[in-house]
Amino acid sequence: MCTQRLGNLVFVTCMLIACGYFAWIAEGFVTSGLLATSGLPSKFFPQLTLMLTGACAVMVGVMYVRFHEAGGDANEMVFADRGEAWRGLSMLAVAIICYFTWNWFGFLPMAVILGPLSLIAMSESRIAIYAIVWALTAAVWVIFTYGLKIQLV
Amino acid sequence: MFDAGAFVSAVGLLADPFTLMLLVLGIVLGLIIGILPGLGPPIAIALALPFTFYLEPVPSMVLLLGIYSAAIYGGSISAIAVGIPGTGAAIATVEDGHQMFKQGKGGEALGFSLTGSIIGGLFSAMCLALVAPLLASLAVQFGPREYLAISVFGLVVVVRVAGKSLPKGLMMGGLGIFLTTWGLDELNGTERYTFGTYYLYEGLPLVPFLVGLFAMSEVLIGAERAAKKVSFDTASLSVRLPGFKALVRMKDVILRSSIIGTVIGIIPGEGAAVGAFFAYSEAKRRSKNPEEFGKGKAEGILAPETANNATVGGALVPTLTLGVPGSPAAAVLLGALLIQGLTPGPKLFSDQPDLMYAIFLGLFLINILMMLIGLVAIRFAAQLIRVPTTVIVPTVMLLSFVGIYSVSNSFFNVSVLLGAGILGYVIRKLGYSIAPLSIGFVLGPILENSLRQSITIADGSVAEFFSTPIGLTIYCALALTILWGPISARFKK
Repeated sequence: MCTQRLGNLVFVTCMLIACGYFAWIAEGFVTSGLLATSGLPSKFFPQLTLMLTGACAVMVGVMYVRFHEAGGDANEMVFADRGEAWRGLSMLAVAIICYFTWNWFGFLPMAVILGPLSLIAMSESRIAIYAIVWALTAAVWVIFTYGLKIQLV
Repeated sequence: MFDAGAFVSAVGLLADPFTLMLLVLGIVLGLIIGILPGLGPPIAIALALPFTFYLEPVPSMVLLLGIYSAAIYGGSISAIAVGIPGTGAAIATVEDGHQMFKQGKGGEALGFSLTGSIIGGLFSAMCLALVAPLLASLAVQFGPREYLAISVFGLVVVVRVAGKSLPKGLMMGGLGIFLTTWGLDELNGTERYTFGTYYLYEGLPLVPFLVGLFAMSEVLIGAERAAKKVSFDTASLSVRLPGFKALVRMKDVILRSSIIGTVIGIIPGEGAAVGAFFAYSEAKRRSKNPEEFGKGKAEGILAPETANNATVGGALVPTLTLGVPGSPAAAVLLGALLIQGLTPGPKLFSDQPDLMYAIFLGLFLINILMMLIGLVAIRFAAQLIRVPTTVIVPTVMLLSFVGIYSVSNSFFNVSVLLGAGILGYVIRKLGYSIAPLSIGFVLGPILENSLRQSITIADGSVAEFFSTPIGLTIYCALALTILWGPISARFKK
């Protein structure tokens, strides 16, 4: 599975690209009128924090390139085994699928599929667990819709 | 200083049956969530946060404080019964607690854990009631330079203790602060990173961001562990409280751990886990028989459990008086105050004295009721350790989705929740801590405004930043915090 070194190097590269992009966007922050001359420009603080974040990303990257570790994770993996990776990443996919299902088709279809998809992602085969999760989903829906009067659409 | 009218009003607010019911509910929920491995106090508070939108300030704070205190205590139950800490704060309890359980002394272990938690909680509640009003009266004099100093202090401290790598902690702190710059510039109204949508005019919303960071990321991590099964013997789960003589014998451990926990709680950014570890190592260092620690020694449970619950009151001191959270859980609690339209800070004490007294009294009451509920409910509550993760994961995810949506009936909030959850999951998998990110996200606006105002006041002079006595004291304390380790190591040589 992916090593911490590889994962972190990809992550800091993404962070550096993002820092550069957001710093470039900050250049376009324009304050008009009288307020333009008062105090520091609006781009100052975002660019300062991006500089700090970017500098730290470079340091983390250098540590992984030169010493193969940062904080004693030289021989560690991002996922312990294939099963863990499957469950974690599948659950992430389920969260995203549910988000779009809610957005496109409404709350109820999302609530109906969330439980079974999550259980499949976690390789759960016991039917009783499916029933319990569906019952809990129904309970949450009832509490929010009738108890708290929230329009879940 | 003491406002008798507000005090009486606070007693009246707390005596309301609905408030008392929420207080008990908070303790029960906190116990349940604390017992379930992986779901700690920040997640427990984050999940309950949307419900407080419909409540008055006092009932909502009482509910969340009940959850906060009980979740820290609840973590020790699974630590003792199965050797898996329910929360990070209970990691130090595992060694001696689980050893005692295996020796058939689980009841005694749970008794020491419950007693320590109650004493620590009561001690820190008393300190909160005494220290917070004094600090608030001092904080009224705070200007931009003092707020800048205290924010820098909080951020540096949390970065230092979070995770094993300093650059990684700093990177997350920086990222957290950067994300608060999204939205309209408070000082001159300039649009920053709004990407053409009015949803971002007020920036990224605090509550969905924190719930995503803590609860959603935990759901995804929890899914990975779903295959692991937990089994334990429930025969040894009847709480046996320690006798008065035993407590007198261990009075030094109790007092020292209470003080350590409260002080560590007050330091912005430090959490219950740090307090528990510090108290454990101090108890071991000062013990006549340090070799017995880790083999089922009562002091090894009493010290961390007293300290971790003592951090609750301590963490509320900077949160309520300065608006600077004392721990990640306090950062989420700060979100609850914002939901109520209240701005944490010194003015809260003059504007809402009855709320402040209700919080102080509420904490006392929570700890006393936690004793009673703990004695009755532990045996039943401990069965929850057996609840499969496969049931917890989808339920917590659905609760997060629905809870966040219900705060403002906004699907944008759900988008922020999901985005923050994915970010939290990725960084946790890569060995980053989410504590600096969350504290940075809370401190960001204070930092930016105070920095910009300080620079304007300083008018080009660096010395002006250190020209106020309070600010200078805070910077000296920060320097001492950073340099203490290297200096003491040099002296030891």
